[in-house]
Amino acid sequence: MFFLKSGNTAKIDWVFIAVLLVIMGCGIALVYSASAPSSEGVPFYGTYWFKQIIYFACGLVFAAAISLLKISILRYLTFPLYLVSLVLLVVVLFFAGDVVKGAGRWIDLGFFKLQPSEFSKIAYLLMISSWLSKHPVDFLKLKTFFVPGIMFLVPFVLVLRQPDLSTALVFTMVTLTCFFFAGLKLSDLFFFMSPLASVVLSHSLVSYSQFLWGGFICLLAFVLFKRRLPIAYTVIIFLVNILAGYTSSMVWNHLEPHQQKRVETFINPLSDPKGDGYQVLQSMTAIGSGGLSGKGFGEGSQTNLNFLPEEHTDFIFSVLGEQFGFVGCVGILFLYFLFLWRAMAICRMYTHPFVILVTAGACSIFVFHIIVNIAMTIGLMPVTGLPLPLLSYGGSFAMTCMILVGLLLNMRFHGDQLKG
Amino acid sequence: MRNSLNDGTETREKNYKVFIFLGLVWLAFCVLGIRLFYLQHVNYEDNFQRSENNRIRRVDIPAERGFIFDRNGVVLVRNRPSYQIVIDAQQLPRKKSGKDSVFRTLLNIRDASGVRMFDSASLDTAFQRTAWIRNKPIRIYEDASPEQVSVIEEHSHELPGVYMVTESRREYPYGTLAAHTLGYTGEISEEQLQKPEYKKKYSSGDVIGQKGLEQQYDMEFRGKNGSRVVEVNAFGRVVSEVSGMDAIPAEPGLHLVSTLDFKLQKVAEEAIPDSMRGAVVALDPRTGEILAMVSSPRIDPNVFSLKKKERNRGWAKMALDTTKPLVNRAVAGVYPPASVFKLVTAGAGVENGVLSKYKFYPHSCTGGYTYGSRYQKCWGVHGNLNVVNALRLSCDVFFYQAGLDIDMPRINEFGRRFGLGEELLGIDIPGERRGWLPDSVSFNERNKRSGWRWARGLILNLSIGQGQLVTPLQQAVLVGSLAMNDGVRKPHLMKEFRDSKGNVVKTFKPEVIRSGTMKKSTHEILLAGMDSVVNHPGGTGKRGALPGIRVGGKTGSGEWKKGEKTHAWYAAVAPLYAPEIAVAVILEAAGGGGAKSAPISKKVMEAYFFGDSVQVKPEVDVLDTIPVEGD
Repeated sequence: MFFLKSGNTAKIDWVFIAVLLVIMGCGIALVYSASAPSSEGVPFYGTYWFKQIIYFACGLVFAAAISLLKISILRYLTFPLYLVSLVLLVVVLFFAGDVVKGAGRWIDLGFFKLQPSEFSKIAYLLMISSWLSKHPVDFLKLKTFFVPGIMFLVPFVLVLRQPDLSTALVFTMVTLTCFFFAGLKLSDLFFFMSPLASVVLSHSLVSYSQFLWGGFICLLAFVLFKRRLPIAYTVIIFLVNILAGYTSSMVWNHLEPHQQKRVETFINPLSDPKGDGYQVLQSMTAIGSGGLSGKGFGEGSQTNLNFLPEEHTDFIFSVLGEQFGFVGCVGILFLYFLFLWRAMAICRMYTHPFVILVTAGACSIFVFHIIVNIAMTIGLMPVTGLPLPLLSYGGSFAMTCMILVGLLLNMRFHGDQLKG
Repeated sequence: MRNSLNDGTETREKNYKVFIFLGLVWLAFCVLGIRLFYLQHVNYEDNFQRSENNRIRRVDIPAERGFIFDRNGVVLVRNRPSYQIVIDAQQLPRKKSGKDSVFRTLLNIRDASGVRMFDSASLDTAFQRTAWIRNKPIRIYEDASPEQVSVIEEHSHELPGVYMVTESRREYPYGTLAAHTLGYTGEISEEQLQKPEYKKKYSSGDVIGQKGLEQQYDMEFRGKNGSRVVEVNAFGRVVSEVSGMDAIPAEPGLHLVSTLDFKLQKVAEEAIPDSMRGAVVALDPRTGEILAMVSSPRIDPNVFSLKKKERNRGWAKMALDTTKPLVNRAVAGVYPPASVFKLVTAGAGVENGVLSKYKFYPHSCTGGYTYGSRYQKCWGVHGNLNVVNALRLSCDVFFYQAGLDIDMPRINEFGRRFGLGEELLGIDIPGERRGWLPDSVSFNERNKRSGWRWARGLILNLSIGQGQLVTPLQQAVLVGSLAMNDGVRKPHLMKEFRDSKGNVVKTFKPEVIRSGTMKKSTHEILLAGMDSVVNHPGGTGKRGALPGIRVGGKTGSGEWKKGEKTHAWYAAVAPLYAPEIAVAVILEAAGGGGAKSAPISKKVMEAYFFGDSVQVKPEVDVLDTIPVEGD
């Protein structure tokens, strides 16, 4: 390509780019199909699918521009970007410009509605990667967690206050992935997450909770035994888990009934037909009615009748499931996997931790969105409002995805500028 | 740090981590795939059927609207079931011939009296609407009688897609009784939907409280609709609940126990025939509780729960009526206070040391008073009087001179202390209008356009209550608080809210809204004046006297138009030295207050004090009575 030196042409991953373009094409087609009935009589430049093409086109230009930056410039910009994102998060928290669905998450710039939480995902990814590439974490040296912990908690709490739980969980996902690639072992991550698992598994609402939790504690003991951590670590981890398990039920019983109800409906949306439950039920029906091969493009009766209120944004996957069936769904999952696999290949090309962390972190953002969104549409996970990367309609999120793609390309092209 | 020795192991570890990462992603995708396989292959048939017929419906479970009771548990407002016949676009036969057969069958249905239930024009419109309103049923017959319902049910096998929906509608068992106070319900109007305070709470098509308590406490009455998801059969009838989805039960609205006393209300209603325009307010000055509130001419709020046609006819009749029956005169009627205002003039005079028991004016009443070039008449010839006797005989000449001495600012200040004036009393029904106590500034301000200017001569009129504006509610509050001399309590109609089980969830907290106090000497003189009006020979309010109870009051005859009879005012309080009830009565264009209005007040007070002997039985059994105090 013209903008790369001849030696760099080999670095272009045509498979990656092809997969990316195919998924984006699918996205536009699905948005077209989902919004066709509601956009009769609307001039083509006012339709959702056309806007989506514009967003993607802008995004591609942006991604290309980012891919050209020198990594040193990127690293130089990291800290200012992180600070700006924090300021924006504070601004949106206290001076919410526009209230969409009860949560003030936008700053209205007139021509564009800026969503600071989207922006902060990227800024945070760069920041934590930059820090961890210089200061790897070690499970046995707790002070190595201090600075990245603060870096994580500040935006996490700000986003949680919006309240936007799902974005906060994206931060968590990025952090865990980056810790993993910056020195933690798999078992360390397991220890990190074990108290949470204890809380969930010991919960009295979970069927067979005593067996599940008992089994989990046995597993924990086994892993602790194999890992041979210092005795203090072993004891503390074990105790924290036991405590978490016992207090979870106690705290639960102290909650007010309406708080309990709220948690229940979050975990199981089907128990609340007034809220998201109806939507999830319709989505599951739509996907299920697609069968193995689907009803064909533009043929979905559920989605065409607008039973799914937000099918072109969060529930785009149910349009796919209804019109293209199991084959279509698995096909998209396969494309996503191919996309992630090609992206992760960057990690194997270079050795500098910054490149590896940015790549893995960006992939983890994609993965989290994909899994949580699809699981939501098929009734496996709570309704959180995370869109499906490259398929869902929406300018802000399309931009986020394309910036992440830009970062991935950048790492691929310039990863050798940093010597590990 | 990193050296070449370590590089090998580090690369290996890194690749291992990439492998783990992708492996976990693969695992998660496999779980999604398995779930998809389960939905799309194993459960395909169920899901396909559901989606084909769109058999899943989310049905609202409407919440029962709360009732309104009087203070003793008599039901004033309740609900009745109302049957709607609807067609459902998705359950109608798809073929045109099938639709036509349903159409024809409906047209031929006759009710018990042999009249066709549907006319072809409106039925045709409804069928045409099915083309675009597909996800909710369309009503084709409103408020059907049980007989009509059974006729339709007999034909149900010929009528796929036609079924019955039960609604709950408001019923006012006593018809016009306290209609203005209770209000009525109706569909939210376009104008209301534009208003931000409505936009937040309601959506188009909602039936909401309009006017009166129904509007004021709509949110409390509404409760919360429940919801359930059901599967319906091809006829649109519910077959089963969808498994795995819980129904949310409706939360019934709260019951309002009002401060109204059914007995008093009934007596007051009967005292004013519907042909007269006027209002009665009875309240307890100790707490501000409204015991009875009548506005005549009356409306029947049941009209608003009828079929659309009858509803519109009833509405048009009320709206076009020149006597304005829709206005709640008790709070929204503004009248000159007339001679009742002399209490304020007298009070302000004594309070400021201008008047006393021993103060006589040089001009005795010879039937009029000359001020400047004008001669102002009195309604009689009274001679030379002190303030108490001037109140008793309602002598204008005395108050002309007193008014000039005291001047308006001091009089108005005294009036505002006891609830008169521009500030609303804040009663808990909408539509209360503000009164007006003019002085030179506000008079000029108000009459800017017409060019009238303030002149000192106007004090003559104002000091006898011609020129101010008050509502009947304000008059009742005024006499009550004058007799109390212990602060003005906010007048209110809400006593408490109870949930459907009868537990009290909210009670009204009395609130002092004006200072409502004066010197003891002033109080004594005013009490003596009010006493003499009713109980002394020659007192103008002697028809309001009640044997055995000391009543104090003041009459008034408000001039409002040359050649017309005066507005008859009477405001009274009893027992005078330990007030329990204050009553204000106005009859528009009826004549003298002492003659026309005082007897009405007497009846209300009689019912209050000797109500047990004056038996007034509710026509409707008090079956729905919820437990009252002490339970």
